[in-house]
This record gives sequence, structure tokens and C-alpha cells, in this order.
Amino acid sequence: MTELTTAHFLFLSAALFIIGMVGVLTRRNVLIIFMCVELMLNAVNVSFIGFAWEQNALTGQIFALFVIAVAAAEAVIGLGIVMALSRRLDTVDIDEVRQLRE
Amino acid sequence: MAIEVLIFYLLAGVAIAAAAGVVLARNPVHSAVSLVLSFVNVAAIYVMLRAEFLAVAQIIVYTGAIIVLVLFVLMLVQQQDLPEFHGGRPLRRAVGFLLGLALLAEVAAAILTRSLRGAPGSWPPEAVAAVGGNIQAIGRELYSAYMLPIQATALLLLAATVGALFLARPELIEERLAVARRLFTISLAHPRGVDPLRPVAELPAPHDSELKPAGGDRALVMARSAEEFTEQPAWGEIRR
Repeated sequence: MTELTTAHFLFLSAALFIIGMVGVLTRRNVLIIFMCVELMLNAVNVSFIGFAWEQNALTGQIFALFVIAVAAAEAVIGLGIVMALSRRLDTVDIDEVRQLRE
Repeated sequence: MAIEVLIFYLLAGVAIAAAAGVVLARNPVHSAVSLVLSFVNVAAIYVMLRAEFLAVAQIIVYTGAIIVLVLFVLMLVQQQDLPEFHGGRPLRRAVGFLLGLALLAEVAAAILTRSLRGAPGSWPPEAVAAVGGNIQAIGRELYSAYMLPIQATALLLLAATVGALFLARPELIEERLAVARRLFTISLAHPRGVDPLRPVAELPAPHDSELKPAGGDRALVMARSAEEFTEQPAWGEIRR
């Protein structure tokens, strides 16, 4: 392909999302899992902006903006939970956190 | 046109390699730095997609705020040696990779057979240039058609701030009281060590002998911290 198409950006988005998903599924450190979630949100933004570029529309860019805002809120709460978790259970291992299961 | 495709492949390759580094790195700090590299490359791709404002917002919010926050938490949270990605739980790793490959195959099939195209939007590059640029166009759209969502986002950020403050409080009531005692006790002659939450009427009235030692000899109580003074070892001696 000699010209950029939306498929290029969609494949980039899919690759980033799947790498993030594999990280969430395989890692145990809750901070790494948090970073992988951020990676997945970012991959979705690539899709939004790629579609906005294809359609000559701004809706996708505005949605990406909202995703960034929600990701910032999620980061604050997520890291607050990590801090509370490490203070209460003294661990960042996600496998050690099973109080609701037992 | 080939140079554009070449630049895209370069940026996308570095972004994907850095994303893989986030998952594969042993040290969480290396993961965070990899994440920064990935985000910056994705921001460059946003510029290729005519989304200049989002590229800048991405760098400011993600690499400027979120990653700094992550690094601070990494510093504060005690890190123990976890059997990380490279060791332990081979079954889980295999399942994760297989699920990832399956999803990649599905998404690739969906992208390659995609036939649905939406109607072209109302902001071609000429229209964006006519209002002054990408950020002007986003502002016009955001504060006319998306007024309610943007207000809801403001509310969400406020709620997140309050929630973070709540989560960051000390867990135990004793810790909170200790912090309060350390911060709010200023009087030099006040009987410290009383519970700040108890009503004043319940506090024991100071006995005459406590205030004035019977023997007539005065003692100077030296305390290095409020907690030490709280236990009043010196007062007991004077009383005796």
C-alpha cells in the first residue's frame, strides 16, 4: 500500500489494545495492570481519531477528548485505590487481593 | 506519498515496541518510561491525522500528569519481588497470549472486510482552516453540540478529586487522631494527650497537685514530640 488508509490506523489501534489486554491478563503487579489499562484507552483513541480523519468529522476527536478526561479521573481513583491497597494489605500483587472472594 | 507511509510505519513500530516493553519489562519504572515513549509516538500519529489539539492534550495529560502520578505512586508503594512476567504462571501466560492472538485475528478480519462507511462529516480540512484551525473547530463543536457532556465531565473530575482525597486518608481512626494531634496541638501549657474528639466536659479536671507539685519544687517537662508528652511520664513522677 502506497497510501495511508484508515485500515493502517485501525491495525495500530488493534495492536496497542491487544498488547494492553495481554498485559492485564498476564501481569500481577497492579500498577503494571493500571498502565496497561491506560494503553488500551489510548488505543481506542487512535481508532476514534482515525475514523474522524476518514469521515472529515470532528465527533471522533471530541469523543477522544472525553476519553482522555475520563482516563484522568480513572487514573486518580485507580492510584488512590492502589495506595489504600498497599497500606491495608501491604502488597501490590493482584493475586493477594481476594477479600471479596473469600 | 510514500514518505508519509514510511513515517507512519516508523511511528507505529516504535509505539507498538514501546507498548510491548510496558508488558515485558521487569521493573515497573521501565514500564512507565516505555509507556511515555508509546504515548509520544501515538501523539505524533495524531498530528498525522489532523488532530493537533488532541496530540498536545495527550502529551500534557498522559505523559505530563498520569505518568508522573504513576511514578509517584511507584515511589510511595512498597515494591516486593513478584514472580513477574518471565517467571511463574505459565498457564495464565499462555492463555493470555492465545486470547490476544484470537482477538487480533478477529479484529483483523473485521478491519479487512469492513464495508460500512458513514456519511462524510461537516468538517473537511477547508472548513477547519476557515474557522482558524483544529482547536477553534473543536471548541466550536464542543461548546455548542456537547455542552451537557462537557459539564458532566467537570462534575466527574470534581467527584474524582473528592474520591481521591477520601481514599488517601489514613485507614485507622487512631492514625487520623495522631495526625490531628501532631498538627493542631499548639499550646505550651495545655494538658495534651486528651482525645480531641471527646467533648471537653468529659475531660478530667486537673488536680491541684498536678498543677502544683506538693513538695514545692518545680519540674520542667521536656518532650521531643507530642506523642511522648501525651503519655505523661514526667507528670507521674511529680505526682509521686
